[in-house]
Amino acid sequence: MEASAPSFAVETIGLTKRYPLAWKRKLLVALDHLDLQVRPGEVFGLLGPNGSGKSTTLKLLLGLAVPTEGEARIFGLPPDSLEARQRVGFLPENPYFYAFLNGDETLRFYGKLCGVTGPKLEKRIEELIDLVGLQNGRERPLRSYSKGMLQRIGLAQALIHDPDLLFLDEPTAGVDPLGSAQIRDLILQLKKMGKTVVFSSHLLEQVQEVADRVAIFSLGKKVLEGSLDSLLAEDQSTQVHVPGELTAEQQEKVRLLLGQAGITSQEIRFSRPHLSLEQLYLRTVQGLPAPTPAKDSSHS
Amino acid sequence: MIPSFFRILVIGRNTLVEAVRQKVLSVLLIFGLVLVGSSVYVSTIATPGLDAAGLFDEQIKFVKDFGCGAIGLFGFAIALLSTAQLIPQELQSRTVYTILAKPVRRAEFLLGKFLGVVLLLALAVTLMSLAFAASLYWQETVGLKYAQDVYDQHMPNWQNSPQLVSQYNHDIQDIVSKVQDPQLVEAILLLFAKLVMTAGIALLISTFATSSIFTIITTFMVYLIGHLEGVARDVWLARGAETSLWQSGLAGLISLLVPDLNSFTIVDEILAGNHVPWVHTLNLLGYAEVYLVVLLAVSIIIFDFREI
Repeated sequence: MEASAPSFAVETIGLTKRYPLAWKRKLLVALDHLDLQVRPGEVFGLLGPNGSGKSTTLKLLLGLAVPTEGEARIFGLPPDSLEARQRVGFLPENPYFYAFLNGDETLRFYGKLCGVTGPKLEKRIEELIDLVGLQNGRERPLRSYSKGMLQRIGLAQALIHDPDLLFLDEPTAGVDPLGSAQIRDLILQLKKMGKTVVFSSHLLEQVQEVADRVAIFSLGKKVLEGSLDSLLAEDQSTQVHVPGELTAEQQEKVRLLLGQAGITSQEIRFSRPHLSLEQLYLRTVQGLPAPTPAKDSSHS
Repeated sequence: MIPSFFRILVIGRNTLVEAVRQKVLSVLLIFGLVLVGSSVYVSTIATPGLDAAGLFDEQIKFVKDFGCGAIGLFGFAIALLSTAQLIPQELQSRTVYTILAKPVRRAEFLLGKFLGVVLLLALAVTLMSLAFAASLYWQETVGLKYAQDVYDQHMPNWQNSPQLVSQYNHDIQDIVSKVQDPQLVEAILLLFAKLVMTAGIALLISTFATSSIFTIITTFMVYLIGHLEGVARDVWLARGAETSLWQSGLAGLISLLVPDLNSFTIVDEILAGNHVPWVHTLNLLGYAEVYLVVLLAVSIIIFDFREI
């Protein structure tokens, strides 16, 4: 009988990591009994302040650290097995890589480590350079790369062996908004390609734009988990979008109409949706038409 | 097995490329080459005022001592500096995460890094040996020309005298045999083995050290003890019954933990022109190999358990 495919790309059961602090005769609980399940094809965000256990979780999932208690599974395999690592790509936080290698050499090195060689490797390098938009960095040593370029070559090396699952630790940390948006678009592209992505970030707006589900960590514990739709929807109100700005007369007509449905006038609020500062910045630097400035008033 | 070996090779090659592209090590190697190459010139300054035959012998001896000394010294500096920073640098820059997140075992990573250092040492010793060979060749050319001049100036028509021709041939043979001494190959091999052992010690220390400085200082101390332990053991053994139990125990423990590097001073005997049989050299190379296997095995065990 053929074994059924594992249901989860990532699964942890009571995963715990404690570090002994010998000089204080104490234990630092970096991660406390984490139960987590990520389905194949999902984009999953790990949120939380510094020291909340996000990076420890990633280290344990990559087999770079040994859990004190509990267990983790990657597609049903132990994280430190070569079979699991063959299916995983990783971009560490603030990656430096080898500064003396150029873009192509970096990808060639990591590709060979994964057993990708010859024409297949060269073809893969071409594809990834195109995907991350690093044509201008192929012959340049990484020491001359900007922060955004380093993140992009990091993403390319994580993808060199075409893994099914990607772990990205703060992929947009220290990157300017344009570079950050490009990385966000890449994550969305990876999702379309059917990859599972687990990433940590401090930039909540970006997480909101790409993640299907999130888990929020605090002091080594997972305190909240769910899909963004369910976590962010306000049950107590409904938003209606209409093109253009409503005149005072039109607003009054809407109030009357809603009043007939039993909604009192005080509960109805009119406002113009705002662009985020990031959206405004991106439109401006990308040369897109600037939005019409809203009148400095809201109608209630 | 084959993929594992391939991954070790890939990491080893990358480590070598890194070392070659690092300015510090390149400068160190260039200094080594210049020093070995300059031995011919330095020998003429260091041995003035001797009679002709003595001058040549002294100069040859000086070129050999100076050349091998420079290979040993700069090789030691390269072995120590390049190995000491192998692991701390990887941890600090977090490149180790990107490698160990790939299908690479920790043992493969460590062996690959060490292979890179061994390749670097092989490259450095080969280049310095070539410079050494060039110096010796130059010295030989000078010596042969000098012998020719002496015969031409002081013994006119010496070619017509079978006795003088025979003496000339003997002198030429003497010069060539002193310069083209096959035992120098043994000396270079022993120097290389000692350098690889030094790198092995540094690798072991770096698997638990928290900084390169700690590795450099500790390796240097072990290197010194490695040269002295043989002497101490000989002294204690010579005292026979006078040796206390704790002295014997300490000597035994040190000889177990620290390699006997003093045995490699047999190179000095080769340079002095004394015959050292190949069997003895092969024994020493075998000892270095066994010790290295132990060093690497312990390094792998420690690194496997290390939190990174």
